[in-house]
Amino acid sequence: MARRPPPPDEGREQPSFSRRSFLKSAGVSAAATTIVGAGERAEAAPAVLGPNPVTLNLKVNGAARAVTVEPRVTLLDALRNELDLTGAKPVCERGGCGACTVLLDGAPIASCLMLAADAEGHEVTTVEGIGTPEKMSPLQAAFVEKDALQCGFCTPGFVVAGTALLAKNPHPTLDQIKAGLAGNLCRCGTYGRIFEAVQAASRATTPSRTPSQTPSQRR
Amino acid sequence: MPQEQKSEPTSTFTAKAGLPGSPQPLEVHPLTTDIKPWDLDSVPGFEHVGKPRPRIEGPLKVTGKAKYTFDVKLPGMLYGRMVGATVPAAEILSIDTSKAEALAGVKAVWTTDSRVVRFAGQDVAAVAAVSPDVARDAARLVKVSYRERPFTHELREAMKPDAPRVFNLDRLPAGRDMGRNGNVAGPRLGRANRGDVEKGFAEAEVIHEGTYYCPVHTHAPLETHGVVAAWEGEQLTVYASTQAIFAVREGVAEALGIDRKNVRVICEHMGGGFGSKLGPSATGSAFSVVACRLAKLAGAPVKLMLDRHQEHLCTGNAPSALMKVKLGAKKDGTLTAAHFQSWGSAGVAGGAGTSGPAGALHGKNPNFKAEEWDVFTNAGPAAPLRAPGHSQGAFGIESAMDELADKLGIDPLELRKKNEASPVRMAQYDLGAKAIGWERRNKKAGDMATGRLGAALGPRKRGIGMANGNWYVFASENSNAQVRVHRDGSVEVITGCQDIGTGYRTAMMVVAAEELGIEPGDVTLRLGDTQFPEGPGSGGSVTTNSMAPVVRLAASQARGKLFELAAPLLGAKPDELDAAHGKIFLASDTGSPASASKAKAVSFKQAAAKMSGESIDSLVKRPKQYETFRGDLAGTQFAEVEVDVETGVVRVVKLVSVNDCGLPVNPLTTQSQVIGAMIQGVSWALLENRVLDRNVGTMLNPNMESYKILAPADMFEAESILTPVANMGNNTSTAGIGEPPIVPTLAAVANAVFNAIGARVRELPLSPDRVLQALSEARRA
Repeated sequence: MARRPPPPDEGREQPSFSRRSFLKSAGVSAAATTIVGAGERAEAAPAVLGPNPVTLNLKVNGAARAVTVEPRVTLLDALRNELDLTGAKPVCERGGCGACTVLLDGAPIASCLMLAADAEGHEVTTVEGIGTPEKMSPLQAAFVEKDALQCGFCTPGFVVAGTALLAKNPHPTLDQIKAGLAGNLCRCGTYGRIFEAVQAASRATTPSRTPSQTPSQRR
Repeated sequence: MPQEQKSEPTSTFTAKAGLPGSPQPLEVHPLTTDIKPWDLDSVPGFEHVGKPRPRIEGPLKVTGKAKYTFDVKLPGMLYGRMVGATVPAAEILSIDTSKAEALAGVKAVWTTDSRVVRFAGQDVAAVAAVSPDVARDAARLVKVSYRERPFTHELREAMKPDAPRVFNLDRLPAGRDMGRNGNVAGPRLGRANRGDVEKGFAEAEVIHEGTYYCPVHTHAPLETHGVVAAWEGEQLTVYASTQAIFAVREGVAEALGIDRKNVRVICEHMGGGFGSKLGPSATGSAFSVVACRLAKLAGAPVKLMLDRHQEHLCTGNAPSALMKVKLGAKKDGTLTAAHFQSWGSAGVAGGAGTSGPAGALHGKNPNFKAEEWDVFTNAGPAAPLRAPGHSQGAFGIESAMDELADKLGIDPLELRKKNEASPVRMAQYDLGAKAIGWERRNKKAGDMATGRLGAALGPRKRGIGMANGNWYVFASENSNAQVRVHRDGSVEVITGCQDIGTGYRTAMMVVAAEELGIEPGDVTLRLGDTQFPEGPGSGGSVTTNSMAPVVRLAASQARGKLFELAAPLLGAKPDELDAAHGKIFLASDTGSPASASKAKAVSFKQAAAKMSGESIDSLVKRPKQYETFRGDLAGTQFAEVEVDVETGVVRVVKLVSVNDCGLPVNPLTTQSQVIGAMIQGVSWALLENRVLDRNVGTMLNPNMESYKILAPADMFEAESILTPVANMGNNTSTAGIGEPPIVPTLAAVANAVFNAIGARVRELPLSPDRVLQALSEARRA
């Protein structure tokens, strides 16, 4: 049986399995099993961060951004609360809805499930990095044109997931679009219009000579 | 005390009303202070109204730049967190916040004065701290000691005579003089009750009786409920994720005992509400008031957003519904009587009625009786959810009609036509039937050899069904708008009413532009702020219908003032002028838009430059709603489904919705709302079900992966057909569309499932277990 680490705060009630002790033990096991995508930190000794705030050097939308946060802070909270990049939305906070989707080295991830510390050494792209109101990406413009949004709270997640899909498969079939967006939820009911927007953005690019035949799997 | 009838002067004229295909002259009597309503003759002349137009806020929303309440960050802002009761029924013995208060970074703590817990998730305490994580730590350190009481978690359990009582008899939610029996209150009689049902059943040749059940749904908006509260001296600013900024202002001011004038509520963009965000906070929480108190205590702004778990527990839900339906008919399908009884649980609240559709549909039936009972359970109070009680009620009555048709051996569509009183729905039937290919359905339910839906793909069988829905043309007279034309010719429409994502703000730009003769893009809408003129809460599909006429009237008055300025420049009288394409010209010069540019004209800006002050302002209040052409909103839906009879999985292949929406201002966003309602309706029909644990009374699926909502992979072909109706109910002939298209969906899908498999599922959702159970029962029968 592993011994529990001592309580970090004097006089503070320690639940039997606290988030903090979990992070410490999870950090060790993660370091032991890291195979791919390892940043510099993971290659070095398994450093234990915190509990006090640490400075993290992130690369977001092409710019170096330093944040000083508790190591338990998620990438989603760091983007939103520290960098004021509020396009990614907190909705389910457990990877079930896709509203917090950002690109990590070009691949879509749920930023609510990743610690900001683990994003060091990676390229993070948020919906703000994909386009601006004045210069929207073709997919963003297609979302507007097809009215693929209502309240708009899920929209940034769909835009990021759709961008990743089109990067991987520029001319997806309808079934491939459904599969590519399968991790995102909308409550107003915009799926049909979103599919139309992805198809319109796809049509706007030159057809590739060898269209992918395999449905793209996102997660 | 009898209300004094005010009679205001009216004018009279004959409008061309109704459907474009069958226009009917209708005498209308608008107030003399109002303007002539748009009718069918107005439609060909529209420059902007009725043309599809992408919503103006789209670019902000697709780039992540639109700021929602959840995105607001103020200097020095703290993060609040509610602590909810963990048990469904109890007396609170003590709340110990000492450890939470001692935690570094905690700045304020609040506890409830209430000592009685009636549902899990009820407000108990709250904290505010320097970060969301510290606030979560602190919330966990609040220790509540309960003396637990017996509870009842579900409608049918709560109806039993020996069920634990949710309320003492003298503490029942008041307001209705209804009978009470344990947890059951009622009956409340239907508004549409008519004739004599006993006599009607005696005259019937065929009788169908059935019992139908819908579970509790939660709203599950993607942006959870929440506010950011900031004090500056006596002045309180509240950023709120709300459908009703003025209700937040009034509720917060009253709860805090401060003047409304000192409370400003702002909501620029809102991440979904569906009826749950119409009050000051939520039906099962006072988080807005708590956030204001925490901010006062801490001397810093507080952002308090509920988390997903709390959102499911205390922000409202759609009541369950247990419906007993009895129909009597002649052999030719003529209805002779309908008796509709429903029991529903709105948790600790009342108002679980579902008889609206049964009373409104099949209007030729002379004998109708509805009775509704509220059943209290230890669960969070309900809130209006998108056509409250109507999707459930339509599931009951329209499933029963489908069963009656089967029993009579009559086509279900012919049975509807036989008893239809609405000329609009009568016109809609054939449009929907054609779009779905109604003639392809299985003539004998469950037997694909009797239809033209192709051969069954292994165990997957197809079917087609239909159902009707109704809704109402509601309007709020508490709707005000200001149109401001600046000296430089720029135009603002200023009105407090919030935009919840329906396309409302774009529609108002279109209405103002149409009246002023300028481009919609030249109009800037200022909204979502209680410092602007008061407007309605966005519920009941009232917003466009309430605000479009007042925006048009204000724009019309501004236009009249501009014409006075332009008239001397054109050597004409103001009432001889017209405006289009940013120009003001002699009305006699126009015949086509092209001629307007050639005619003698002054630009909008030239006229504005002549004003004596810096702006022309027209502030008006909405004229009353007039009698509409044929009253209620008609709608009908047709569904094609595929059912796997081995796994019980139902897939919707196609859904067609035909809707009366008045004259649609912007068909693009109107149809987005229709399709959205169809998707949410299919989600209710196939997936959604709030499950409370019978042993501990807490919710088992308070998240977004086990409280299932429809996902992209489940998406079907959705077709929206609008049947515009010049209803003459207001000067724009508009009507709401947010709710009507969700009313028929549950029944349309369920009836299609019956057509596919020949087995009736009378309890939602249409989940594999229920489908297989129905198949098994049908085989035994």
